[in-house]
Amino acid sequence: MAVANNELEKVIIQSVLEELAKKGLLSTKSKDHVMSAAMMGTPLHSDDSSDDMVTFPSLDEMQISNPINADAVKAMKKSTPARIGIGRAGTRPKTMSWLRFLADHAVAQDAVFLDVSEEFLNNNQLMSVQSAATTKDEFLTRPDLGRRLSEEAVKIISEKCEKNVQVQILIVDGLSSSAIEANIPDLLPSLMQGLKSSGIKVGAPFYVKYGRVWVQDHVAALVKAEVIVSLIGERPGLGTAESLSAYMIYRPDEKTVEADRTVISNIHKGGIPPVEAGAHLADVVKQILAAKASGVKFNQQK
Amino acid sequence: MILKAKVYNKVFAFKSLKEVMSKANEEKSGDELVGIAATSASERVAAKLILSNLTLEDIYNNPVIPYEEDEVTRAIYDGLNLRIYQEIKSWTVGYLREYILEHKTSGDALLHISRGLTSEMIAAVAKLMSTMDLVCGAKKMRIQSHCNTTLGVPGTLAFRCQPNHPTDNVEGIMAALKEGLSYGSGDAVIGINPVEDNVETVTRLLETVKNFMTKWEIPTQNCVLAHVTTQMKAIEKGAPVDLVFQSIAGTQKANDAFGVNKEILDEAFALVQRKGTATGPNLLYFETGQGSEVSLDAHLGVDMMTLEARTYGYARNYRPFMTNNVSGFIGPETIYSGREVLRADLEDLFMGKLHGLPMGIAPCYTNHMKMDQNDQEMGTLLCAMAGSNFFMGVAGGDDVMLSYQDTSFHDDASTREILGLRPLPEFEKWLEKMGIMENGLLTERAGDPSIFDK
Amino acid sequence: MPESSSQTITSVGIDIGTTTTQLVISRLTIENTASGTLVPHVEITEKEVIHRSQIYFTPLLDRDLINAVAVSKIVEQEYLAAGLTPDKIDTGAVIITGETAKKENAKAIIDALAGFAGDFVVATAGANLEGIFAGKGSGAALFSAQRHQVVINIDVGGGTSNYAMFHEGKAVESTCLNVGGHLIEFEPQGDRITYISEPAKMALHISGQRLQVGERVTLAQLRPVVKAMADCVVEVLKTTLLSELTRKLLMTPSLRLEHPIRKVMISGGVADYVYSQQGPTTMSEVTAYGDFGPLLGWELKNCLETAGFVLEKPNETVRATVIGTGTQSVNLSGSTIHLQEKTLPMRNVMVISPFISIIPESAQEIAAMIKKEMLRLQIDHSESSVALAMKEPRSMSFVNINLLAQGVLLGMDDYLSQNKPLILVIEADCGKVLGQCINANTNRPLEMVCIDQLEVNDCDYIDIGKPLMGGRVVPVVLKTLVFNR
Repeated sequence: MAVANNELEKVIIQSVLEELAKKGLLSTKSKDHVMSAAMMGTPLHSDDSSDDMVTFPSLDEMQISNPINADAVKAMKKSTPARIGIGRAGTRPKTMSWLRFLADHAVAQDAVFLDVSEEFLNNNQLMSVQSAATTKDEFLTRPDLGRRLSEEAVKIISEKCEKNVQVQILIVDGLSSSAIEANIPDLLPSLMQGLKSSGIKVGAPFYVKYGRVWVQDHVAALVKAEVIVSLIGERPGLGTAESLSAYMIYRPDEKTVEADRTVISNIHKGGIPPVEAGAHLADVVKQILAAKASGVKFNQQK
Repeated sequence: MILKAKVYNKVFAFKSLKEVMSKANEEKSGDELVGIAATSASERVAAKLILSNLTLEDIYNNPVIPYEEDEVTRAIYDGLNLRIYQEIKSWTVGYLREYILEHKTSGDALLHISRGLTSEMIAAVAKLMSTMDLVCGAKKMRIQSHCNTTLGVPGTLAFRCQPNHPTDNVEGIMAALKEGLSYGSGDAVIGINPVEDNVETVTRLLETVKNFMTKWEIPTQNCVLAHVTTQMKAIEKGAPVDLVFQSIAGTQKANDAFGVNKEILDEAFALVQRKGTATGPNLLYFETGQGSEVSLDAHLGVDMMTLEARTYGYARNYRPFMTNNVSGFIGPETIYSGREVLRADLEDLFMGKLHGLPMGIAPCYTNHMKMDQNDQEMGTLLCAMAGSNFFMGVAGGDDVMLSYQDTSFHDDASTREILGLRPLPEFEKWLEKMGIMENGLLTERAGDPSIFDK
Repeated sequence: MPESSSQTITSVGIDIGTTTTQLVISRLTIENTASGTLVPHVEITEKEVIHRSQIYFTPLLDRDLINAVAVSKIVEQEYLAAGLTPDKIDTGAVIITGETAKKENAKAIIDALAGFAGDFVVATAGANLEGIFAGKGSGAALFSAQRHQVVINIDVGGGTSNYAMFHEGKAVESTCLNVGGHLIEFEPQGDRITYISEPAKMALHISGQRLQVGERVTLAQLRPVVKAMADCVVEVLKTTLLSELTRKLLMTPSLRLEHPIRKVMISGGVADYVYSQQGPTTMSEVTAYGDFGPLLGWELKNCLETAGFVLEKPNETVRATVIGTGTQSVNLSGSTIHLQEKTLPMRNVMVISPFISIIPESAQEIAAMIKKEMLRLQIDHSESSVALAMKEPRSMSFVNINLLAQGVLLGMDDYLSQNKPLILVIEADCGKVLGQCINANTNRPLEMVCIDQLEVNDCDYIDIGKPLMGGRVVPVVLKTLVFNR
């Protein structure tokens, strides 16, 4: 009943406002303003199952009318994350699959263009430094800047970080801030537990904003850790914007190349779960320490 | 060679043709990253003005990368028809633009002078052309090629069905392939990008698709887009290859990074002629894109657009069945926005066609660029109007293996219906037989991948 | 730790059935299928049968006892023929099926045989397991996945018909009916009855026929009895409201028929007669093997077609069960797990599932539930090891997994103080981190196996083999021992 009353109330407010607008007593702009204020007065339902919320239908819902073999369509959809079996309106996508595409792209763009929040860094007690890139646009169009630290970062790291530890962990936003916020809270404690319970000396992890993979080489030169582990946001696809990679390098120097890094990718709740990935990474780091090598050289020793 | 120009009250002087070429470009982030872009709008126009006044001979005499130093330059010059070049070498670039756009200049006439144009000349004229200029020019030229079927038949538009899967899962690949075919996509080629670049995976995928093509009598081409050397090993082991694929670029240094050179391509072409499964004579599939040289740090200070033209100059010697351009795929450090992608796509389509190449375009984007689906759909329609021979076909526009967005099966069908274009003739007959298409329009049955699982 | 991208293992399947005993040896290829930068994912990628035995008559001492010596002779002989010795066999299973499972010494025999056949060869039995193995061996499971059609496989042997229904490659229903081609025995190629089994007597009674041991029968006399049995087999597919005879012959609850059946496959000894063009026309054709298998096959075909079922030919007929047993009994754990190699292999581990639904919030509550279940099953007073099975942690967060680890340690305190190994089987992909958390939360040196991505049920028995692929995965065989239930 409460819902119905609210609905009714909204309709009444809206028609009153429209009348006022027609009579020129209200500008369109302020109408919007007044409307949203009126809406805000409507109590928000904390319950997710509330009737008056629009969301996407389940992906399992059959979108093809009268398929020849519905079981086959279901099985095909299960076999690939690709957008198949989505039906059509004429030659165009159905409304829901079009809007779902937009939503997925929006989430992906937000992951790239929004920053990791201050609140997140505080909650996870992560010190924050920045690469040489000064803005997101610069970071995206100038890969060279994301590969080294800003002067201020160099100073902070030199002053605050413990030197000559066995392992230094970096959290790097890379191309997805969402990957950081979604995975680090479970990945990091799992990885730290795995390393510490084996008696490995680990420096306090910290965060690098606008960073790319190679920034770990610059950090290594400052902290002189044996192994640097970068947990970095991957370029989002439409399937997930939360995928994270771990790049591990053993004592990098000027001659270090891409192939010297050991990489574990696809860490997210739909890939390898972050908490399990942490335990796996701890094992890999231990092996790298034992082998005193990473990347191709490490693989050859295995 | 005059390298100085006055735009109203301001004078601009340039040091080299190479500098003029790069500064005449429309804005693109890759040229800025390298530090060779025009620094003001006026400087850009000054460069265009200088370029319009240069003769084709000036350009001939000043290749952006010396002949002695670069295999791509050699391929361009060695393949040139000097007799045709002699006839037109006194033309200015500005005149060439007008010649291209003249009513009395036919597509055939353009393909004739094409033989006497170096890639830098083609890039130069495209730098003077607007969006609509590029569409007008490109539309005139029709380039046909034949593998198992003929691509580029007038009135047709074809698609590569691209049923990629993040783990090369055969079942998942087949599912997306069936979906694509049920929308009429796949007449250009069935082309899979494998995750694992090894002979076993490539062979498994080639065999699976070939068996499916045979079982359902699908008139098209079969290709797995692994590295050329992997495909060659697969051919040697008996894998059914119709088309050999390779990514190429506009400098020898970039091609080295791709692990490819003239010797390897010659060998691959000879091999697929002897041991491939297709009719031919066109048996190669190239992919190119503005910015690949920049991302490989192999640009040698040359602008992205000129390098792209040089890539086409390299490609045309191999008479490929198809050349696909993926400028939107390279990344924001080379092409940042939807506007930049659209411009690059039209430039590439025009330049490719003026090289005599059977061009297709992938008006695509990644999620770290400032581009969205609306930009992409505009690009698709413009390129279709400009006479692109083909586009890609990706389920729902979302490539789940390469993590980027490209033309969807829906876009493929829409573009055909909007512009009254048809599938390649043999493929259309097959679609009719399968009950997917009637009179060039999708039927009620279309869009159901389970028609193959009765 | 050497780590190669693939490994082959040799697996044996031995089927001791009502009429026949068979053995197959297969080679399973195990590969890491995850590409370059992904966390390894090890799975079985290829199954190739490399040796098929002759088909032997199951050696019996008398009607109630299996001839153990003769059975082990068969195994020895076939290993020799295949050029293998038991130490070359990595895994596999022995299954005892049909009427033979009712024999007095059945359990003793297969346990002994399992040990004899190889280090990690498992004894299994159970009508449902048998039907599922048969359906996997016949190709029904694969067909359902490839063609996206619900298929029911009926393995009709000497003593039983074992049903397994497959939907998209997965067994969704199974049952077993006491109908088979060997329930009445004859003089080979003759017409004199030498034995009538109990289930055959029921069928005779219902169909109003009065045949006796020692009597000679005509085809016309025999046909109605066999047809009555075939009708029972088909009735199970059609309805859940069953006739009296069918109800009596059912050995497990009947099918629920929740999926419409698109195709029927028949495997087992009589299958070849189902798919033949012509039925037997004389008694000597019927009793070629001293039973009525050929006639049952033919009548079954007619009944199925009359009822409108579409028959599909299996890849394997008479060998379906043994091939299924040899190639399908082994499961692999997830590829990120926690274990000490020296703890393995372990046999006959009983599974207990202390958590009925979602795992509680605190370590104390988790421990209490485990203790309660351990007490109920008197685990702490028995010698054997148990595996704690669970679906997933409360959530896949580090906090919840760490709490689960604390809860498990508290709950298993008494058990662990007896120096027994801690064995955990969890469905969710978190075996490695759970193991790590358990280690981090205890001071006790612990023998532990914590594996994931396996589905096991309360009171299942499992065998856990030695790790493969440099310790990445362990093979696990699920077995349902009817003898213990």
